[in-house]
Amino acid sequence: MRTFIRFVRSFTNLSMLAFAVLTLTPMVWLIAATLKSPDDLFSYTFFAPRLSTFHFRDLFTTVPFHRYVINSVFVATTMVMVQLFFSSLAGFALAKYEFKGKKPIMILMLSTMMLPGQVLMAPLYELIYRMGLVDSYAGLIIPGAVSVFGIFLFRQSILQVPDELLHAARIDGCSEFRIYWDIVMPISRPMIGAFCLISFMGSWNSFLWPQIILHNTDRFTLPIALNQLVGLYQQQYGTLMAGTFLSVLPVIVLFMLLQKEFIAGLTAGAVKG
Amino acid sequence: MATKQPELTVDMMGVRRTSRWFVLQYRAAPYLFVSPFLILFATFGVYPIGKSLMLSFYVTNGPKSAVFVGLENFRFMLSDPDFHTAVWNTAVFAFWSVFLQLPLSLGLALLLNSIWMKGRELLRLAFFSPNLLGQVFVGVLFSVLFIPQYGLVNRFLHFLAGIPLDTKWLANPDLVMPALVLTSLWMYVGFNMIYFLAALQAVDRDLYEAATVDGANAWYQFWAVTLPGIKPVAVFVLVMSTIGSFQLFELPWIMLNNSAGPDQAGLTVVMYLYQTGFVAGDLGYAATVGWSLALGVLMISLFQMRVTGAWKGGAD
Amino acid sequence: MRFPYGSAALSMLVLSVLSGVWLALNPVKKPEATLVMWTFAKTHYDAYKQALPAFEKKHPGVKVDLQLVSWQAVTSRLQAAFLSDLDVPDLVEVEISAAGSFFRGPLKDVGFRDLTDRIKESGLYDRMVQARFAPYTSRGRIFGLPHDVHPVMIAYRRDLFEQLGIDPNTIKTWDDFIRVGRKVTIPGKRYMLELPDSESSRFEPLLYQRGGGLFDPEGNCTMDNEIAVETMLFYVPLVAGPNRIASDLGGGQIFTKAVEDGYFLCMIAPDWRSKTIEVDVPKMKGKMALMPLPAVSPGGRRTSTWGGTMIGITRHCKNPDLAWELALHLYLNKEDLAQRFRDTNILPPLKEAWDHPAYNEPRPYWSNQPLGKMYAELAPHVPFQYTSPFVTTAKGKLSEALVACVQYYRSYGERGFEEFVRKRLKQSADEVRRLMRRNPY
Repeated sequence: MRTFIRFVRSFTNLSMLAFAVLTLTPMVWLIAATLKSPDDLFSYTFFAPRLSTFHFRDLFTTVPFHRYVINSVFVATTMVMVQLFFSSLAGFALAKYEFKGKKPIMILMLSTMMLPGQVLMAPLYELIYRMGLVDSYAGLIIPGAVSVFGIFLFRQSILQVPDELLHAARIDGCSEFRIYWDIVMPISRPMIGAFCLISFMGSWNSFLWPQIILHNTDRFTLPIALNQLVGLYQQQYGTLMAGTFLSVLPVIVLFMLLQKEFIAGLTAGAVKG
Repeated sequence: MATKQPELTVDMMGVRRTSRWFVLQYRAAPYLFVSPFLILFATFGVYPIGKSLMLSFYVTNGPKSAVFVGLENFRFMLSDPDFHTAVWNTAVFAFWSVFLQLPLSLGLALLLNSIWMKGRELLRLAFFSPNLLGQVFVGVLFSVLFIPQYGLVNRFLHFLAGIPLDTKWLANPDLVMPALVLTSLWMYVGFNMIYFLAALQAVDRDLYEAATVDGANAWYQFWAVTLPGIKPVAVFVLVMSTIGSFQLFELPWIMLNNSAGPDQAGLTVVMYLYQTGFVAGDLGYAATVGWSLALGVLMISLFQMRVTGAWKGGAD
Repeated sequence: MRFPYGSAALSMLVLSVLSGVWLALNPVKKPEATLVMWTFAKTHYDAYKQALPAFEKKHPGVKVDLQLVSWQAVTSRLQAAFLSDLDVPDLVEVEISAAGSFFRGPLKDVGFRDLTDRIKESGLYDRMVQARFAPYTSRGRIFGLPHDVHPVMIAYRRDLFEQLGIDPNTIKTWDDFIRVGRKVTIPGKRYMLELPDSESSRFEPLLYQRGGGLFDPEGNCTMDNEIAVETMLFYVPLVAGPNRIASDLGGGQIFTKAVEDGYFLCMIAPDWRSKTIEVDVPKMKGKMALMPLPAVSPGGRRTSTWGGTMIGITRHCKNPDLAWELALHLYLNKEDLAQRFRDTNILPPLKEAWDHPAYNEPRPYWSNQPLGKMYAELAPHVPFQYTSPFVTTAKGKLSEALVACVQYYRSYGERGFEEFVRKRLKQSADEVRRLMRRNPY
């Protein structure tokens, strides 16, 4: 019986390993594809014996790819900063204060989470159009400047901050904003890390809204630029793969750095709330 | 969940700070802190909600011109075969997300929660990693993986199961949905697994021991201890992934080369909304479709919560 | 001092500031050009880049900003630009199948300028292949100047034809073609012809060849008439069922490999595609050749048309006379057109241009055939193709009908097929008509 169990367990373990390898295969293929010359692309399933940087060079010479990267970095990081500030501020208020209207606000927030964003897209576009923000980064960032999900995350984590700490600060004469800025936020560092990545991924990968709002190619972010690349240079799959690879790289690097906090933050809302 | 915090009085603050300004800023702080949310919500939430309700009674040609048509949009939508296709495709996709993807995620989570499993950290990382790629990038990648004759998927499945090498996943209307389901499986299995895993780790170990002492077998343990233990998270994941599936757009749009695919096999509700509203320029009709989507999602979520609630009564 | 909010927030802040500074130093170029023009084809873009300096020299102080926009995005971006009155270009090249969708609404609201008078007055209406104005005409008004004729021929692997003992001269009708095709097709390995079974891009040329079309000159949907039924009954058995002789795989590098491997012997090849084939399958140089499309019945039309582009001037354009000058400069200059033909293989619709020696040059890639002459001989026979604001929908619905008919044929074969085709085409056409009725404008 014992050997049987052991056998089953090692078998399961091996299958899991195989499954994990299978999961990673597309990404390995992606990396391999970027490093092949166009002639080798479909001749070798994975890596070709001859490595080539042709596709990367092709990518940067045919389109201003560096510009798309910088546009994306700017939009995503600015979005993160803005969301981080507003969401944590509101999360703090909802965690540590009793005030009139707190309940309705909480309910309001919960219900906006249920409403699919696409419902509002048409009038939102009209509004942005009337505000003259079509084809601007403001039109991307402002409507999404507060993340309701972020408010809940920060509320959850700030609830753990002991009240005594805040009171002590008040006795020392700290204003409420100083308390937020100097005490609450530094303590919430792990949640900040998680939220940075969640929010970064959200705007980095966002497609539909930027696709509607941005007109000038020079303002394009990576997802729309890459989608346009599919149309213009369809024959060069390798170049397309190089673009895809460079587009996902920043998120993967960020994840490697913030892995622990990220998963904790991701599940915090579900497990505790 | 509200924190018990006494009303701040002047004497509580000691002698050093009793100025009226200090009390005032204390009282005003929470309102100031939530005000960005409220202002943005009023501008980009309340106004568009009202506006979109109104728009849904108009046929428009871009944001500049509109003609009132009453309930015509709703009538047209309900009788439009394309809308039916979109709803059907979306529902099929949601079905597979719930009944294929979630059990698989739970299975993986259960296995990764077993202490005898080796390399759990690395396995978890591997399964989760596809989720880091956004739908657009996954779409581009898989549109190439799925190409006939030379694509990786066909080569692999040809070698493994002998499917014809020239199987056209994205050009054959019968295979578009399987291709989409497979891709989203790859993307989201690990993501949902993370939630299940976190829930499993939060289940009280003592309960298992008690069950073992009572002589419960593994199966009974699963039904009596594990499932009730992870139920809140499971419902959360279920509702979230259903809502997510109903909002499917980027993945098929990119994989099918900015189209609904052969025979509209990849047409989803949001794609329908995008095409009618932002390609053809009828924002009024888009609002109609949007509200129907919201209503559908709401009804399904409520239904799911009810059903899972009833299931809890049975298990207890 | 350590940053109190963690390294993640710090890196976001630093990146945000750095990228912001870069963007501030490298602002998006303000359009200084007198004329902004969009094109969606890389080949056109390269050709016009060469032609522009001469235009700018002729008009001192004028600057033309030529932009390449992906063909998938050009329609939606132009639509969005028209709707929000933002970043509307002065001139746009629009693809034939998308052009119609811009003619929606009252004539005065169409985003393009009415060019009818300019075209009629300059005599261009008679100097160009008239069939090519049809796709850009709505309610009798012409909104675009045609860029091309796009007569259709068949490109084939000459070397394999010789190996297999096929003489292309004996293939005069589709019946001949099918007879040969059945002999040489080996399912899964080799097909006589490349034809898709999931979309209608090559069904349409075959429909036009028979004198059919999606719409009649008045814009009524005709995709369920007798000709359409006939075409469907002809097309489906080519791509489905036991006797099929055609298949397809996809474009770009897949196509390259398939042609090299001899997976397809023949392809439907309008002039523009002969260039695509040259570029995509360079290894087949000297092994390819062209022949006219087989006729439906002996003595019938031996060509059709597939694809096309128009140039239009937008209502937004502040200098329509100059824009018209530019359009003429790009579309009428005989020397430029000849050079462009050498570069792109595209036959211009300007009939007087065809006597240039460039069209007689033998092409080594095509086994030294005089490509231009061959296409030009077919050009007068190119069928008319009418459009409507609902052309995109109609194409989609036609594709749906095609897919349904293919599936029916796969399952039930000839039994009840004709009846099904008739019913299915009518259903698709009715859906288009239904949509047309809804339009309140």
